[in-house]
Amino acid sequence: MTDLKNGSVKQANLNLSRTEIIERSLAKRYRAEKRFRCYGIMAIVFGLMCVALLFTDIISKGYKAFAQTYIQLEVTYDANILGITDLNDPQQVALGDFQGIVKQALKNRFEGVSGRKAKRELYGVISNGAGYRLRDRLVANHQLLNQSETLWLVADDDIDTYYKSMGSDAGPFVGRMSEQRQGWIEQLTEADEVELRFNRNFFVQGDSREPELAGIRGAAMGSLFTLIITILLSFPIGVAAAVYLEEFAPRNRWTDLIEVNINNLAAVPSIIFGLLGLAIFINFFHVPRSVPLVGGLVLTLMTLPTIIISSRAAIKAVPPSIREAAIGVGASPMQVVLHHVLPLAMPGMMTGAIIGMAQALGETAPLLMIGMVAFIVDVPGGFTDPSTVLPVQIFLWADSPERAFMEKTSAAIMVLLAFLIVMNTLAVILRKKMERRW
Amino acid sequence: MTNVPEPLLKRGVTAMDNVQYPDQAVGEPFANDHKMSLRNVNVFYGDKQAIFDVNIDIARNEVIAMIGPSGCGKSTLLRSINRMNDTVEGCVVSGELTLDGEDIYTTKMDPVALRARVGMVFQKPNPFPKTIYDNVAYGPRLHGLASRRAELDEIVETSLTRAGLWNEVKDRLDQPGTGLSGGQQQRLCIARAIAISPEMILMDEPCSSLDPIATAKIEELIAELSQNYTIAIVTHSMQQAARVSHRTAYFHLGHLIEVNETEKVFTAPEHELTEAYITGRFG
Amino acid sequence: MDKLQLDQHISKQFNEDLEDIKTSMLEMGGLVEKQVGDAIKALEDADSGLAERVIEVESRIDDMEMDIDETCTTLIARRQPAASDLRLVMAVTKTIRDLERIGDEAQKVAKMAIKLSEEGVAPRGYTEVRHIGNCVRKMLNDSLDAFSRFDAEAAIATMKEDRQVDMDYKSALREMITYMMEDPRSISRSMNILWALKSLERVGDHAKNICEQVVYLVQGRDIRRKKQS
Repeated sequence: MTDLKNGSVKQANLNLSRTEIIERSLAKRYRAEKRFRCYGIMAIVFGLMCVALLFTDIISKGYKAFAQTYIQLEVTYDANILGITDLNDPQQVALGDFQGIVKQALKNRFEGVSGRKAKRELYGVISNGAGYRLRDRLVANHQLLNQSETLWLVADDDIDTYYKSMGSDAGPFVGRMSEQRQGWIEQLTEADEVELRFNRNFFVQGDSREPELAGIRGAAMGSLFTLIITILLSFPIGVAAAVYLEEFAPRNRWTDLIEVNINNLAAVPSIIFGLLGLAIFINFFHVPRSVPLVGGLVLTLMTLPTIIISSRAAIKAVPPSIREAAIGVGASPMQVVLHHVLPLAMPGMMTGAIIGMAQALGETAPLLMIGMVAFIVDVPGGFTDPSTVLPVQIFLWADSPERAFMEKTSAAIMVLLAFLIVMNTLAVILRKKMERRW
Repeated sequence: MTNVPEPLLKRGVTAMDNVQYPDQAVGEPFANDHKMSLRNVNVFYGDKQAIFDVNIDIARNEVIAMIGPSGCGKSTLLRSINRMNDTVEGCVVSGELTLDGEDIYTTKMDPVALRARVGMVFQKPNPFPKTIYDNVAYGPRLHGLASRRAELDEIVETSLTRAGLWNEVKDRLDQPGTGLSGGQQQRLCIARAIAISPEMILMDEPCSSLDPIATAKIEELIAELSQNYTIAIVTHSMQQAARVSHRTAYFHLGHLIEVNETEKVFTAPEHELTEAYITGRFG
Repeated sequence: MDKLQLDQHISKQFNEDLEDIKTSMLEMGGLVEKQVGDAIKALEDADSGLAERVIEVESRIDDMEMDIDETCTTLIARRQPAASDLRLVMAVTKTIRDLERIGDEAQKVAKMAIKLSEEGVAPRGYTEVRHIGNCVRKMLNDSLDAFSRFDAEAAIATMKEDRQVDMDYKSALREMITYMMEDPRSISRSMNILWALKSLERVGDHAKNICEQVVYLVQGRDIRRKKQS
C-alpha cells in the first residue's frame, strides 16, 4: 500500500491505495459524462419533437387545401342567357352573363326549387368563379355557343368544407350550410356527381375573396421577384463591402466604427428597415409602393449586414498561406482577391447569402410598412407590379373569417417551407460543388 | 589568415545577456559580385524594432543560409528582401536594399515586379487549390510570360523538371496540387517560384514540415538550383544550413552577428554567440 | 586559465559525453607516458622484466584507443557536434591515434631493451637515449598538459622542442655511425640502440602532432605542415 498521506487526504481514504482512489473518482467522472450526454440527447429530442409537432400540425391542416370539391353539371352555352350575339366582340364576351348559364344548369339539375331564398341557396352551390371558366372555354372554342357540355365546376367554399369533412369522425362541418343544401349534396354524392379533384387553382391563381378561388401564385411570384431584387443587390454589394473591409481597408478607428455599425445593423429590428424604406424609397425617391422593387430594396438593406458579416468570416477563413503564395509569385492585391480569395471564400459567402435570403423570404414586418400587405388579385408579372409576398399572404389568410381559409393558410405555410427547403438544398449543393480543399 | 583573433573559446559564454553585439558583423559579410546588397537595414513592427543595422551582401549564385534562435529576425529580414513585409501592417523598413544596384524600396520599384524577380518559397507548402499544371502556370500567366499554350506547356515542364517533380507528376498534371505529399507539394511550390524565372529565390524554412527524405530531396534541389539562382534560405536546422549553404549568417535578437563561409561557421565560428548557438549552449 | 566550456550545453548528457572522452583520452595519455618512461628505463637498466611488462600493457592501450574511438563515433552520430565541440571530438580522435602510435614506439623500445639484455650491452649510446628520452617525455607530458588546459600557446611552445629533438637525434645518429665504423662487431647491438633512438624520435613527432591538435582545438586553425617560425 502506497503511503500517500498528506494533509488534504481524508481519513477515509487512508486505507485506500492510490489506484483505488483513482478508480473511485473515475466511476464518478464517467457517471457525470453519461449525464452530460443525456442532457444533450434530451435537448435534441425536444427540438425534434417541436419540429415534428409543427410539421404534423401544418400538414394535417393544410393537405386538404391541395384538393378541391368539384360538381358535375351539364351546362348549355345559351346565347340568350349570355346575351352574346357576336363572339368576336370582346365587349360582349366580357359582359356576358356566364354565371347565368351556371344558374340555369343548376336549375335544370335540381328541378322544383322555388322561392327567392331557396334559389339563392341553390346558386351558391357553385363558386362565383365558375363563370370565368366557362367564358374561357367559349372564347377558346366558338363552336360551343348554343351547345351543351358536361363539366366539373368548382364548388363553393362552404360546400367544399362540408364535403371534405363528411367522412371525418366528428361528422361533417355544417357551419352556414342549410339543410336544403345538405340534401342537394347528398343527392349529388349518390349520383357520383361530386368529387375531390387536385386543386390546380391554388397554384395558378392570385388571391381572392373566395377561398375556393384563392391561389398562392401571386404571393409566390411576388416573393420570387422580391428575392431576385434582393439577391441581385445585396450579394454584390455585400461581397464588395466585405472584400474591401477585409482585404484593402486600413485598420483604423474609422474601419472599426464601420465594423461595429455593421454588426449593430444586423441586430436592428426589421420593422425599422421598413420605416426606412418607406421614408427613403417611397417618399423620397418615389418608387411605387407595394411593388417587389421596393420590397427588394428594403430587404436588401435588411440582409446586407448578414451577408457582409458572413462574407467577411468566409474571407477570413481563407488561409493566409494562399495569399502569401499568390503575393510571392507576384500577384497584385486585386489578383490575389479575384484569383484566390474569392473562389475559396465563395462557398462560405454563398451560404451566408442563402441564409440572408431565407431570412428575407420569411420577413413580413418591413413589407407591411411599404404597402406589400394589400389585397392583390392579379399575379404580378414584373418587378413593378403591385404584389404581396408569401408570409404576408399567410398573414392575410390567417386573418380571414372564412373557414376554408384555415386550410389555405396551412397550405401556404407548406409552400413557404418548401421554398425554404429548396433554397437551403441549393445552398448545400452549391457549397459542396464549390468547396475546395486547401 | 594572418590575424588570428583572440581565442574566443577562452572567454566565458555563461552570461549571454552581457554579451556585446558587434557593431559590424564579424566574418565576411560583403561580397564583390553581389546580387543583393543590404546596408544599414532596420526593420520595425510598429514601435518594436526587429532588425538592427544589418549590413550584408548576397553574392550571385550563392546559397546563403540565415540561422539563429526563434525571434532573431531572420524571417523578417528575408521577407524584407522581396517586400513581402509590405502586406504587414505597421512594418517599416529603413536602410538601403539593392538588387543588382537598384534600390528596391524606391517608388520606382513596383513590389509586384520585384516579386517576379525575387521568388519565395514558404515554410508550409502552400500550393493553390488548383491543378498541378495551373499551380505552375499561374505565375507565367500572371506576368504574360507565355503567348501560346505550347510555350506555357514548356515552361511548366521545365519548371517541374528543375524542381525534380516532372517524372512524378507528368501523368497527372490535371489533378489538384493539394493532393500531393508534403515534400512533393513543397517541390511544386519551388516549381511555381522558378516558373517565372526569378533571379533570386528566398526560402523561409522550406523543410520545417517535411520528413527527412523529402528534406533531402529539397536540399539536393537547392544545390542544383544554386547554379542558376541566388538563394537565401532561412532555416532552423543547423545541419541543413551546414549541408546546403555556401555562406552562413547568424542572427541574434535582430542583430547580424557573424557571416562566414559555412565550413568556418560550423567548425570554428568567430563570434562567441555563434559558437554558443551552434554548439547548443543557450539557456 | 579558462577552459573550454564543456559544461554549458543545454543537454547535460552532451556535457558528460564530451567530458568523458576528454578524460579517457588524458587517462590513456598518462598510461602512454608511463609506458615511454618504463621502456626507456628498461633499456637503460637492461631490465627485461620491465620491458616485458611494457609489451604487455601495450595491448591495453590499443583497447583504450578503440574504446575512445567508438565513443567519439557514437558522439558524432548522436549529437552532430559543431564548432568547438566538433573540434574537440576531432582532436581527440586524432590524438588517441598519435598516443597509440607512441605506445607502439614504446613497445619497440621495450623490444630493443629485451634484445639488448639478451645480446649484451651496447658499447655507447645510452646517454643519447636518456637525453632524447627525457626530451620526448617532457614533450609528451607538455602536449597532454596543454590539451587538458586547452592552452594553445603552451602547445606551440612544445612543438618547437621537436626541432631540438630532431637535431639531437641526427647528431646521435652520426655519433653511432662513427662508433659502428670504429667497431664493426658492435654493429648489431648499436643498431638496437639506433632503433630505440628512432622510436623515441618518432614519439617526439607524435607529441608534436598532439600539440597541433591542441592549437586546432583551441584556435580552430589547422597548422599542420605549416612552417613554424
